[in-house]
Amino acid sequence: MIIEICLIIDYFLVIVSCILVFYFHCIFIFCIPDFNLMLKNLKISFFLAYKSIVRGNKGTLSLTVLIMTLAFVNLIFISSIFMGIVVSMNEGAIENEFSNIVIEPGVDENYIKQVANMQSLIDSTPGVMGSAAHYVAGAIENFDENKDGKDIKSTSRPIKSINPENERRVTKIHENMVAGEYLQKSDRDKIILGREISGGYEASLEEGMSIGVDVGDEIEVIFGNGVKRDYEVKGIFSTKNIGADQMIFITEKEMESVLGTHNMASEILVKIEQTGQEDKYIKEFRRIGITEEDIKPWTEYMGMVASVMGSFNMISAILGIIGAIVAGITIFIVIYVSVVNRRRQIGILKAIGMKEKIIINSYILQALFYAILGISLGMIIVFVLLVPYFLNNPLNFPMGWVSLAVTQNNLIISSVSLFVAALIGGFIPSWQGAKQSILDAIWGN
Amino acid sequence: MIEVKNLTRTYEGRVPTQALKGVSFEVEAGEFLAIMGRSGCGKSTLLHQLGLLDTPTSGEVTIDNENVLELLDREQAEFRLKRLGYVFQEYALLPELTVLEAVYLPLMIQGTEKKEYIEKAVEMLEKVGLKDRLNHLPAELSGGEQQRVAIARAIVNTPKILFADEPCANLDSESSQDVLELFCELNKKTGQTIIMVTHEKEDREYVERVIWMKDGLIEREE
Repeated sequence: MIIEICLIIDYFLVIVSCILVFYFHCIFIFCIPDFNLMLKNLKISFFLAYKSIVRGNKGTLSLTVLIMTLAFVNLIFISSIFMGIVVSMNEGAIENEFSNIVIEPGVDENYIKQVANMQSLIDSTPGVMGSAAHYVAGAIENFDENKDGKDIKSTSRPIKSINPENERRVTKIHENMVAGEYLQKSDRDKIILGREISGGYEASLEEGMSIGVDVGDEIEVIFGNGVKRDYEVKGIFSTKNIGADQMIFITEKEMESVLGTHNMASEILVKIEQTGQEDKYIKEFRRIGITEEDIKPWTEYMGMVASVMGSFNMISAILGIIGAIVAGITIFIVIYVSVVNRRRQIGILKAIGMKEKIIINSYILQALFYAILGISLGMIIVFVLLVPYFLNNPLNFPMGWVSLAVTQNNLIISSVSLFVAALIGGFIPSWQGAKQSILDAIWGN
Repeated sequence: MIEVKNLTRTYEGRVPTQALKGVSFEVEAGEFLAIMGRSGCGKSTLLHQLGLLDTPTSGEVTIDNENVLELLDREQAEFRLKRLGYVFQEYALLPELTVLEAVYLPLMIQGTEKKEYIEKAVEMLEKVGLKDRLNHLPAELSGGEQQRVAIARAIVNTPKILFADEPCANLDSESSQDVLELFCELNKKTGQTIIMVTHEKEDREYVERVIWMKDGLIEREE
């Protein structure tokens, strides 16, 4: 609800700016029937604005532009950090947990059948980077550190099977091994697990949730069908995605020997080239004959994370609105003070017969110049300094490495906010000054 | 040329002040007139009403048979631009405009071609003896020079009437003499009507007629 309100406010700002632009357009075009006169007036406004900027106090100009620049950077920075957290969580989920699309068995089916054929169909679809079939089996994992039957640490987490070669094309678990090694296709008595299961490696869950194993330790797994196997921990991974870091993997061959299955899967993850195009590919998969299975995009698996991201989006939107208002007021005050200090000049211009419209427009042009320069410098700071810096030095958040995610929407809203603030900041005081009597303006009453 | 009838101006406030209490007089075209009197007698207020810088409480001001008080704001601006020139006591120059720019600005507003307005401005500055100061900013000029720039700006579009509000008040005696001689020259050579407010009795020798004011009324004429 709050996000919607914030979005409404954002759009309101855009609409206000459009109305103001339309208003000034009307001043220039419709209120002046003579096009040449309009151009002449605009030329004089430009002349006055240009001279004022070029020959005015350089310190004041620099300070005004600096404030504009910082206000813009502030607007972009805060919302981009929050957006960066959201992006990091999304990327974490896609790269390590769900990939882009998840195919599950149809209604009343335990497994997807004829998986090899299905994967072949999927992999041959243009734009698909790879697919990975998993078996998922319920299991209890026990670790008897001293091998004396006492103090056995136990957890109950489902185990997934992978074909390591296929998996490398779909997830990035193999790039996030913090101890030991990734599985190989031929491994049978090896297991890899996330840091939240192993414990250590800066795991974020409480200690009681893990079983305290390290590479080389042996754990006993009791599968849901009663099969009991011992596995040596071959590797531990840390993706910083809390869901992925609670996963346990064995090889596909090993799982098939446990379950007594072949060429089947509990789920197939599909990686596509362009995130965001999932629906298009789901339709394509349906078209090529995958009709019985349940096919969902990654977003449907986000669950609690989605609500966390919703909260971040909300905070980001609220901070964006507050930032825009604060920046707007700051800019308004800066330009207001600047124009108020020039009221005497407004009086002089009126005394020599200059029209109010030309005077007001010259101050608006100056304010817009400050805004455009501030926004431009702000963009340079954001894209030349901040974004590359945070890409090279991402912030270490519990949910992953976070860098700035500057969205087009954010850029547009921030720019429009500053533009509107500058328009209002230039218009109101110059309008007041122009409406003031000539003598009051000259004498500063 | 100028006809003033029963002009009053009351400044509203906690205690309303009646600065003009019903002033009537006429000014012929080409006249050089001084309005004199003690400080606070209403002479500047009268000049402001005539120059359309302020709005009187009541009365009529007719310039060339046109009741200028009935004009709309934008029409008054147009009238000021094309037919009136104004020289303030404190120069009133824009700090960001050079001498040349300050002088050609009224012509630019009128829509004169660039070549023409630059030529005219240079010619006018030559007339006031500032041809070698074209690209100087006001801050780089003396008080007398700034006032001469203000005069050049006021007369560049050849207004019919030039108003001057104590133009020599901030100038030394030599600069004051220069400015007054310039006014005389303009009046004689171009037949420009000049109405000047001053409290310096010595200025009388430059003008053709003096209106003496006292307590918001015309006391006498010389």
